[in-house]
Amino acid sequence: MRGEIESNMAVDIRLAGTRETTKRAVPDEIANLVTPGDVITSDTGFMRGHGTYMEDDKLHTSVAGVVERVNKLICVKPVKTRYNGEVGDVVIGRIIEVGQRRWKVETHSKLDSILMLSSVNLPGGELRRRSEEDEKMMRHYLKEGDLISAEVQSVFSDGALSLHTRSLKYGKLGQGTLLQVSPSLVKRRKTHFHHLPCGASMILGNNGYIWLCPTVSEETGTETGGYDQDLQPVTKGDRQTVARLRNCILAQAAHGMMLFDTGILYTYEASLKYPVKDIMKPEVMTEIIEITNHRQEVEGS
Amino acid sequence: MRDTPLSNCERDFIRKAITENLRLDGRVPYDYRKIRVTFGIDRGSCQVELGQTRVFAQVSCEVTVPKPTRPSDGILFLNVELSPMACPSFEQGRLSEFGVEMSRLLERCIKESRCLDTESLCIVAGEKVWTIRLDLHALNHDGNLLDCASIAAVSALAHFRRPDVTVAGDEVKIHPLEERDPVPLSVHHMPICVSFAFFDQGKYLLVDPTDKEEKVMDGKMVIGMNKHREICTLQITGEILLLKDQVLRCSNIAVVKVTEITELIHKALEHDRQVRASGGKFGFAESFMPEKLTVNHMETEDVDPGEAQARILQELQESDDTDEEQSHITHYISCFVVVKAPGVGTLGEGGRSTWEVDEETQAELKTEQTATKKSSQQPEGRAETILVDSGDSEEEVTVVMEQIDLEKVGKLASRNGTATLKPGKSSTKAAKKKKKKKKPPVV
Repeated sequence: MRGEIESNMAVDIRLAGTRETTKRAVPDEIANLVTPGDVITSDTGFMRGHGTYMEDDKLHTSVAGVVERVNKLICVKPVKTRYNGEVGDVVIGRIIEVGQRRWKVETHSKLDSILMLSSVNLPGGELRRRSEEDEKMMRHYLKEGDLISAEVQSVFSDGALSLHTRSLKYGKLGQGTLLQVSPSLVKRRKTHFHHLPCGASMILGNNGYIWLCPTVSEETGTETGGYDQDLQPVTKGDRQTVARLRNCILAQAAHGMMLFDTGILYTYEASLKYPVKDIMKPEVMTEIIEITNHRQEVEGS
Repeated sequence: MRDTPLSNCERDFIRKAITENLRLDGRVPYDYRKIRVTFGIDRGSCQVELGQTRVFAQVSCEVTVPKPTRPSDGILFLNVELSPMACPSFEQGRLSEFGVEMSRLLERCIKESRCLDTESLCIVAGEKVWTIRLDLHALNHDGNLLDCASIAAVSALAHFRRPDVTVAGDEVKIHPLEERDPVPLSVHHMPICVSFAFFDQGKYLLVDPTDKEEKVMDGKMVIGMNKHREICTLQITGEILLLKDQVLRCSNIAVVKVTEITELIHKALEHDRQVRASGGKFGFAESFMPEKLTVNHMETEDVDPGEAQARILQELQESDDTDEEQSHITHYISCFVVVKAPGVGTLGEGGRSTWEVDEETQAELKTEQTATKKSSQQPEGRAETILVDSGDSEEEVTVVMEQIDLEKVGKLASRNGTATLKPGKSSTKAAKKKKKKKKPPVV
């Protein structure tokens, strides 16, 4: 039902001619950038890895990215790509299909990932063999459209991922915001679950999906095995924090910065003097990213 | 590659908006998007844009042997191509289930309705007939490809000219284009498909669904009809059960739409004919508006701000102001956009954020409204100018513009700049989205 809401926030208009392009600070050591069709080497002694092809006894790249060489293996890591899964990655995905003893999960990779029924915790935390009843109850656990966080258990021969949610930190995600950035911006680290001091939690999925939600207290979830969704109303302050974080992460992604929890926190703190929606303006983005870079250099050394 | 699926929030939002007769792009439920029909230099090439959906049609002809069962009929061959250019989920080459359905519906609508007179395509009975080949390429898929394709197909068939043929006894002479003018195809009528999307078990219906609405719909009905009120094809797909009167209602809507679209096609054909006859430039390059990358080009709409403006002025005249302030306020009203720097401006005032509307703030809102002066309300209660007396404001009278006024004024202001904005819609959406986050029912 419609309430009587006044939406009278100031609206900013900008002519296209005055639009500023984001000028990124480009570090000068990237020497191995290649574009599709470039010749990497004429030496035939190398093994061809991903992103390369052989033509006329010369090794060419098929994607735009950075050339990496490990002993005799040459491969090209593309800048913009679909997610290529490795065992042990944390991913966030959306259930698109409920099948026989498995769920199909969309993780922005080339093929849909699979979540087997035997790879999830049963609600109630029991440990038993999956029966016919469990198959029929699959839709009660996870149905189409649900978001989950999971870990890659193995990779099938065709490249599809097999996921598992066998730990209590994985499972169905509740109220929050999902962001999509390029998978190349999220590096593999020890932990992908971060609780930020500003009151929000963040899951940096290796597949480029980032989940932001207000920090929930940890007592729930142990008995329910990760299926309980907290649907209590979220307060305004929490929502503003999450929105501000979202804009900061998008600002970092627009500047091609790798996403780390420390960097995101610096950007968040630098953005506190602006209202949330102003962070999306190009000049504000450039400014807070510069402050973040500066701070990272100072505190990194 | 698979399309990124819609999130649950987006689905709920679209469904809820439809129950309130609202669509994402601001259309009313029975409206089509803007249709543009353009013809190319070659006869029989036509491109149709239905909003962002684009289909390109090309007609070509060839002399072949007729089918043995129909020796005196020409052949019309329809080919639909869905490439990944239109949508990442289309596969090149292999026609998906959606492509097969679309192809079959178009065949039923165009071939089986006999809109093209195939007997006139006969050259020598049993030996030589014309085969007319109609290729449809989907260039962009933003919903309702079928309607766009049917308009393109029909326009291309009407636009096409085949070479003239003379049969003298046993000799068949096909005249080249330089010798004799090519001859148009005999198109009896123009069958056009109209798509309806149904939601909530047939309770709500939308004409011309966009891509997002198609992903959320329960079922679809396609009516292929011509302007003489003859139904050429009728198909219902999806998980809905429709009542008889719903189907009749849709067919009545389809009549109106088909008449309008046929008018549009005739106008475009006539325009093309005139340009060709007068020796002017024709073709796709001439009909495209110059779109430079540096210019933000959006469709503008005519808006009547008279009522809102008159009401604001009336409010101000009723209040007791000194001359100085009144002139300041009328100056404020006359240039709604506040220019901060060359090319950058703000519109409206920064007001209270609308993120949280729980019981306390709603009660506060209500008491504030009753305490201050209120203008007369429109029947739906949408456009409301409220005078708010905030203690720390420097002006004597602060006029808070309601969201609808913002929308209208924004489009007014766009007369000067090339940037058009649609603030009202985004803030409604934003307000609605914030509303959606509250799960337990509020009042």
